[in-house]
Amino acid sequence: MRLLKTLRNRLRLFSLIVVLVAGWVGAAEKNPQSVQVRIRTILAGNKSDEFDPKLKDMEQQLKPLKYRSYRSLKDDSQNVPWQGTKSFEIPGGRLLTVAPQEYQNNRVSLKVRLTEGDKPVLDTAVGIQNKGNFILGGPPHEGGTLVLLISAAAQ
Amino acid sequence: MRDCEGIRESIGSWLDGELSAAESESVRAHLASCSDCVETQRRLEKMQLALKAALTSPAPQIEFMSFWRGVERRINQKRAWYDDLLDWSRGLFTAPRVAWTVPAVIGILLVLVSTDVWRLGGSRNSFASVESIDTYGRSVALLREQETKTTVIWLYQDQEGENEAAEDTAKSAPTF
Amino acid sequence: MELNDWELVQKCQAGEMSAFQELVSRYHQKVYMVILGLLRNREDALEVAQETFFRAYRKIKSFQGGSSFYTWIYRIAVNLSIDAQRRQKRNPLDFRESMDEVLEAQNEVAKDPYSDVHDKELRQALLKAINDLTPEHKAVIVLRTIEGLSYKDIGEILGCSEGTVMSRLHYARKKLHDKLSAFL
Repeated sequence: MRLLKTLRNRLRLFSLIVVLVAGWVGAAEKNPQSVQVRIRTILAGNKSDEFDPKLKDMEQQLKPLKYRSYRSLKDDSQNVPWQGTKSFEIPGGRLLTVAPQEYQNNRVSLKVRLTEGDKPVLDTAVGIQNKGNFILGGPPHEGGTLVLLISAAAQ
Repeated sequence: MRDCEGIRESIGSWLDGELSAAESESVRAHLASCSDCVETQRRLEKMQLALKAALTSPAPQIEFMSFWRGVERRINQKRAWYDDLLDWSRGLFTAPRVAWTVPAVIGILLVLVSTDVWRLGGSRNSFASVESIDTYGRSVALLREQETKTTVIWLYQDQEGENEAAEDTAKSAPTF
Repeated sequence: MELNDWELVQKCQAGEMSAFQELVSRYHQKVYMVILGLLRNREDALEVAQETFFRAYRKIKSFQGGSSFYTWIYRIAVNLSIDAQRRQKRNPLDFRESMDEVLEAQNEVAKDPYSDVHDKELRQALLKAINDLTPEHKAVIVLRTIEGLSYKDIGEILGCSEGTVMSRLHYARKKLHDKLSAFL
C-alpha cells in the first residue's frame, strides 16, 4: 500500500535524523565544555508573610525552612570553565566562589567557598546531579537570613 | 534549440494549449525538423483520442428527477450523531498527513524522553553529596529534605558577631 | 432571466431548495461522467454523484465564491471518488466483475464508433491501464480528457499547482503510452 511504503520511507529518514541527533547530544554530554552556575539569593525572615512570586518554582524547597517570608534579592548565572573559578557577589559584603571540578555519571562536582570581606566562612566540596541544586543558608542580613540556592548545569 | 527529450516532455502540454507563446513556438519549430518527435506527437494524439472515446463512450444519460430524488432523500435523512464527527475526522487522517505525523510523533517522544522534559511535576533534584566541609570553627548543620531531595548546608551565627538581627534568624537550623 | 451559478448559490445559502435543485440539474451529468471515468462502475458512480451533491448542500454556506462553483463541486466529487477507489482496491474481485459489466454494456451499445477489433482491444487495454494509475494520476487524466479543463482549473480542484498538474499528466500519459505502445 502506498501509505505503508511512504510511512516506511519517512520512518527511515526520521530514524537516521534521530540517531545523528542522539549521537551529537551524547557526545556533547560526555565532554561538556563548561558549567552554568546559578546563584539565587533569597532573604528569609519572620517580620511579614510575604512570598515573592519570583520564587514560585522554589516554593517546595523553601517552605521546609519554616520562615514566614521569602524575598528574592539576586539571581545570577555565569558560565564557569572546568577547573576554573567564578565569584558571585552576595549581599552583606560577601563573596561566593565556585570551582567546577569534574563531570561524571551525570553529576557535577563543585568546590564552593563563602567569604565575608576577606574572611573565609565556609569551604565545601559537593557533588550534585547535573541541573540539580543545593541550599546554603544561615548568614544574617538586614534582620533576616540569607538563603542561597546553588545550581549547576553542565554545558 | 531544445533537445528531443525536453520537447517530448512538452508535447502533451502543447497539444493541451497550455504552453506560453514562446514555448509553443519552440515546440513547433522542433517538430518541423524532427521526424522522431513528430512520431511521438502522432502516438500521443492517437492515445488522447482513444482515451476520450474510452472514458466518454457510451455516455449514459442520467434521468434528472430520479437522480434528484436520491439527493433529496439523503438531505432529508436523519444522520447519526457521530456521522458528522466521522466526516470531520476523515479529513484529518489523509495518507500524507499520517505518513508525516507518525514518525514526527515518534521523533518528538524520543527527544522528550532523552531530555527529561517529560517528567511532570515534582523536583528533578537528587540529594547532593557533601564530600568535605570546613566552616572555620563555626557550627554547621547538614540537612536533607526528603520530598524535594534537597540538601541544606546551614551555617549557624558566629556568637561573637551577634546583633539584634539575630533574633529573627533561626537560632536552630531548620528541621525537616 | 437565467441566474448564474453564484446567484443560485446565494439563494441556496438563504434557504431556497429550488435554487439548489437548479444547480444539481446543471451539473449532475458532468459530475456523474467524471466520477464514472474514475470508478468505471455505474452504480458506484451514481451513488458517489448523489453523495457529492448531498455534501455540497451541507457545505453550501461555507462556499465563499473564491473559486467557481463547478471547480468546487468537482473537488468534492474527485475526493469522494478517490476514497471510493481506495475502497475498491481493497476488493479487487468486485472491481474486475464490475469492469467487465461496463465493457459488456459498452459492446451492446448500438452507436459504437470503434467497430474495428483492434480499436476495441486498445480501448480495453486503455481502461485497464487507466485503472492501474494512482488515484491522483487518474484524476488528472479524467478531468483533462472528459471535461477538457485547464491546468489551472484542475489544480484548483485537486488542490495543487499548475506545475504539479502538468507533471502528473506527463507521468500518467507516459505510463499509459508505455503500456499501450503495441497498439499505437
